[in-house]
Amino acid sequence: MTSFQISLTPSRRAATRFIGSVRRALQKALVDEGKKSGLTQAEVARRIGVHRSIINRELRGAENLSLGRVAELAWAMGRKPIFELVESAAPSGANHIAAPIAATDTGQTAARIDANSAVSTTATQGALGA
Amino acid sequence: MIYGGSIFRAWVQSTLPALAADRSEQSPAEQLDDLWARFCLGDVLVVDRHFKPLQHIADGVWELKTTDLRIFGWFPQKDHFIAVLADLKRALVQNRSYGVYRRAVVAARDALPLDNPKFITGTDPNDVVSNFAYA
Repeated sequence: MTSFQISLTPSRRAATRFIGSVRRALQKALVDEGKKSGLTQAEVARRIGVHRSIINRELRGAENLSLGRVAELAWAMGRKPIFELVESAAPSGANHIAAPIAATDTGQTAARIDANSAVSTTATQGALGA
Repeated sequence: MIYGGSIFRAWVQSTLPALAADRSEQSPAEQLDDLWARFCLGDVLVVDRHFKPLQHIADGVWELKTTDLRIFGWFPQKDHFIAVLADLKRALVQNRSYGVYRRAVVAARDALPLDNPKFITGTDPNDVVSNFAYA
């Protein structure tokens, strides 16, 4: 087996995973509130004062989320966002460099893993004929 | 764990980096990176009528989804996905390629000398991944 990896700079990898985690937290909150109190995207949109399609696109990733909108969505779902910047640190026994690293000329991040992400995006190629 | 066939791997390395996002602030490569990380970490996959990061198509063929991408493959066992093909959603819709891609996945699966059963037959996300949340 050989492994392969998506080429992203460390900064973009950190950014895309942060954006994804925020969006998923909002999706999860809406799902949870929907189960608990019947909250819908339409009601969230009404509380914020925008059309439901905008909320739908933002939560699905088809439209950018501003920080202000994140706060509005959280408020509309009865939640309070907490933002915190903690120091990057390698897990105990980790076998990689924790400090931010510069991208190489080709933008490859091959052997290093962002300390914030705990996992690389290495996938494995098996003996597939596909 | 995500495995990739040779066509998929070539697509990741050659085609994916040049693709531009249709609808997202994140490039397709970034979208796939985030999806893989989420899948491999075991993060909860939220599934409802609006959010469907994975979906059964037919014949045990599943698609993993990002905003702009669709990745086709199958689950030989729970939490293990074999990716065969991928493309932009826009291209799939324009070219009406879903059937072609589904048949290509089935053909790749048939050609692979795996122990039977070669794939999970369930059509519910609970059958193929351990951590998800339904709306």
